[in-house]
Amino acid sequence: MTKTTGGPPPSPSRYEIRLRGRLDPRWTAWFDGMTLTTADDGTTALRGPVTDQAALHGLLQKVRDLGLPLLSVTPLDAEHPRTVTT
Amino acid sequence: MVVTAPLLTTKLHVPRRRRGLVARPRLSERLDRGGDVALTLVSAPAGFGKTTLLTEWLATADRRSTAWLSLDDRDNDPNTFWTYLIAALQTAVPGVAAGAFALLREPHASLDEVLATLVNELDAAPDDLVVVLDDYHAIATPEIHERMAFLVEHLPPHVHLVIATRADPALPVARWRGRGELVEVRADELRFTAEEAAAYLNEAMGLALTAEHSAALEARTEGWIAALQLAALSMQGRDDPAGFIAGFAGDDRYIVDYLAEEVLQRQPDDVQHFLLRTSILNRLTGPLCDAVVGRDGGRPMLAGLERANLFLVPLDDRRSWYRYHHLFADVLHARLLAEQPDRVSELHRRASGWHAEHGEPSEAIRHALAGGDAERAADLVERAMPSARQNRHDTTLRHWFKQLPEHVLRNRPVLRAGYAGAILVHGELDGVEEHLRDAERWLDSVAPADAAPPDTTPAATGAEDPALVRAVRSQVAVYRAAQARITGDLAGTMTHAQRLLNFADPHDHLVRGSAAGLLGLAHWSSGELTAAYRWWSDSRAQLEWAGHHSDTLGVSLALADIRIAQGRLGDAMATYQDGLAVAARHGSHTLRGAADMHVGLSELCRERNELETAREHLAASTQLGEHAGLPQNRHRWRVAMARLREAEGDLDGAVELLDEAERCFVSDMFPDVRPIAALRARVWLAQGQLGKAFDWTRQGGLDPADDLSYLREFEHVTLARALLAEHATSGDRTPLQQATGLLDRLLAAARDGGRAGTVIELLVLRALAHQHQGDVPGALGALERALQLAEPEGYVRIFVDEGPPLAALLQACARQGAAPGYVRRLVSAGAPAGGGIPAPRGPVEPLSARELEVLRLLATDLDGPGIARELFVSLNTLRTHTKNLYAKLGVNSRRAAVRRGEELNLLARPDPRSGRAVADR
Repeated sequence: MTKTTGGPPPSPSRYEIRLRGRLDPRWTAWFDGMTLTTADDGTTALRGPVTDQAALHGLLQKVRDLGLPLLSVTPLDAEHPRTVTT
Repeated sequence: MVVTAPLLTTKLHVPRRRRGLVARPRLSERLDRGGDVALTLVSAPAGFGKTTLLTEWLATADRRSTAWLSLDDRDNDPNTFWTYLIAALQTAVPGVAAGAFALLREPHASLDEVLATLVNELDAAPDDLVVVLDDYHAIATPEIHERMAFLVEHLPPHVHLVIATRADPALPVARWRGRGELVEVRADELRFTAEEAAAYLNEAMGLALTAEHSAALEARTEGWIAALQLAALSMQGRDDPAGFIAGFAGDDRYIVDYLAEEVLQRQPDDVQHFLLRTSILNRLTGPLCDAVVGRDGGRPMLAGLERANLFLVPLDDRRSWYRYHHLFADVLHARLLAEQPDRVSELHRRASGWHAEHGEPSEAIRHALAGGDAERAADLVERAMPSARQNRHDTTLRHWFKQLPEHVLRNRPVLRAGYAGAILVHGELDGVEEHLRDAERWLDSVAPADAAPPDTTPAATGAEDPALVRAVRSQVAVYRAAQARITGDLAGTMTHAQRLLNFADPHDHLVRGSAAGLLGLAHWSSGELTAAYRWWSDSRAQLEWAGHHSDTLGVSLALADIRIAQGRLGDAMATYQDGLAVAARHGSHTLRGAADMHVGLSELCRERNELETAREHLAASTQLGEHAGLPQNRHRWRVAMARLREAEGDLDGAVELLDEAERCFVSDMFPDVRPIAALRARVWLAQGQLGKAFDWTRQGGLDPADDLSYLREFEHVTLARALLAEHATSGDRTPLQQATGLLDRLLAAARDGGRAGTVIELLVLRALAHQHQGDVPGALGALERALQLAEPEGYVRIFVDEGPPLAALLQACARQGAAPGYVRRLVSAGAPAGGGIPAPRGPVEPLSARELEVLRLLATDLDGPGIARELFVSLNTLRTHTKNLYAKLGVNSRRAAVRRGEELNLLARPDPRSGRAVADR
């Protein structure tokens, strides 16, 4: 789809996408197999592997199309998780 | 012979107004303000009622003409996008933008030209046209955004664009906002207020809720209309709305999940099944649903769902096509994936089959891929390829190819070659080599080349269809030749084009015509004019048989250019006239390329000193309009006009026009054998500006001792002229010697190459050089040979332009008995040229069709309001046209505009038979 100029190499990595609202686990298949975890504060985290930037944007587009308010997108490093909040 | 792909008219249909809507005057008023600006942006997430707001607004303001286009991801092909956009415009204003629409079907037209034509044609549309692009977020192609930005910037004041989207588009929105040129409606304004929510729930949905209850719903849904609608549906027929509202308000689940669950649970089983299984479809119709669900009754089911208000949006008035509300479709689809994962690929397979049978390859391919059946997708792409290529759906094709996994491409040589072509057509090379090599490997394995030893033939031979082998072979040769051309490899281009002619089906005229054209091009570029002419003639015949008439006009230009170089003006003239006849025979005189024929004729008439006719041809070219010209016609027209002015003594005007020609220069595949910069240097020489001319020779690295080549011949002749001029001013012998040596070498090369046109010019210059050397017999000898070559073809300006020094020599020639009649004509033609009357200057830029109409009405007795009425435009619009046409004609009054129009013969209308200008009355 879109060409990436610069940026990180297109190696698979894991991401966490946090949304406002409690999403039924039924949506797992819809979100390409991401695991869904709901928290007590009424937010939902989608976690899982994302092939490349295009795949990440595809997921965010699905979030947008459901009208779900997006809270944060965080790359998950397997050993040292760090949070980048948008 | 481009076949028009069927358009989905449902995409152009303004969605029906739904019953029971809440009036939202605050938003309608905001949209009305869009009448002052080019763009209105309605940007909010799914389910915020964007489409409903717009249909409601359009329905209540009944005077507006409206074009509507619902976009989807298939519109990411620029060609598809603009085709639909123009089709939408034509539903509002029948016949509008016909020129742009025709251009889209032309193989050589660029989308930039389409856009420029579209803008001009919209100018002529009636006042107040609203163009709605719904679901613009489906567009992700940068080229489309770029051209949309251009369109918004250039929209005539009476055309207004409305973009509805879930995400802000990649357009310079901030800039327009900053300039106050944008009206926006965003999520916060679209949210239902407490009053609107109450009105909707109680009046539209008839729920009779208390103020407290509707406020609770408004708060829980945050005014999100999709959720309010789902909530209302869940409550219909319930005894206990209070209990429902309390449960709903106290729950923090995703609203749509919660409510869809409520709605679905209350549907009978068969309805639930139907909803889930059809959720994979973008668009629904009875028979398609039957095929996917696996049972009859789709049509009544859809009608029932619409009656029950179950988020079904009708796409036409006949109740044949529908779609689910996007949000609801996503919920259904997610449930299907979660609850019946094993079924999904079977459902997609059925949907793919139905669409393939019903001529919708894009959807068929999408479903095959979604169902994980890549082999089937590959089959479908292979089948859809020829027509997609013919319709120039280049981006769609490439998109299909990109989605196919590598393993299905193996052993599919047709797809491999097609993939290479889809990349090359974008002027790119990435991956081409790999695909072509794979196709060639297959060819080697099934039908080894003559040289290959027979024992290397792999097992899978013998059974291949010879027609398939031949088709693949010629495809591969086409793309190898194209690849060589893109990389500038002339020898490679020729080799592959020649191979192509050996393999291609004798009846594949398009392929043969293209191959012959490539060979003509290659020979031309290396100065082999006779061979080039033969190949181009062949190419023209093949293209004519293939029905590509506009392409034959492009080839006519090449043929005439070659004839001119060969000094055969009569043949060149016949070539252009044949071109006009082709245009008249096929469709209309506005066939693309017809305008170019007039420009060519104008140049020939100028050479023969028929200056009035030359001018008429240029006017005729302008009158045919921009869409009747190939992209190169814009600079060719200016060059022709510049040379005409030069002939009339307006040298400054000539330089100005050449500058313009250089700015709008569009390269084609033809060798640039007469560069604009060299033409300008010649005018500088005529002006005595030797310094400028020598700056140019230095920049071009021109030297009298250079090796000569046909491609630089015109520049070297120009250098010789500059050296002669330098000698004439300074009396210095060195430049004269250099010029003489260069001229002798050029003359030998031109004679060898059979370029009599150049030979005549060189003999004229040689005669002048002899004269400077004091060798009068040598001068007369050279001139006499020039006259012999020139007389039968009617050359005049080639002698006359040299002025008095040559006139004296000519008369001396005539006294010796050489062509006395011809010389008399030449001398008398030269006489008035020096002190002639300054000629009227042509328009700098061709007038649009609308501007020509205005100009013709300006020549009548009508006053401003009368002209505006005549043209059905507002006085303001008329003023815009008038201002533009004054600027183009370089005048500042009505009277001056009319006078200039008369001089340029613009007040006449084109005669449809010959395309030439005839008097109006």
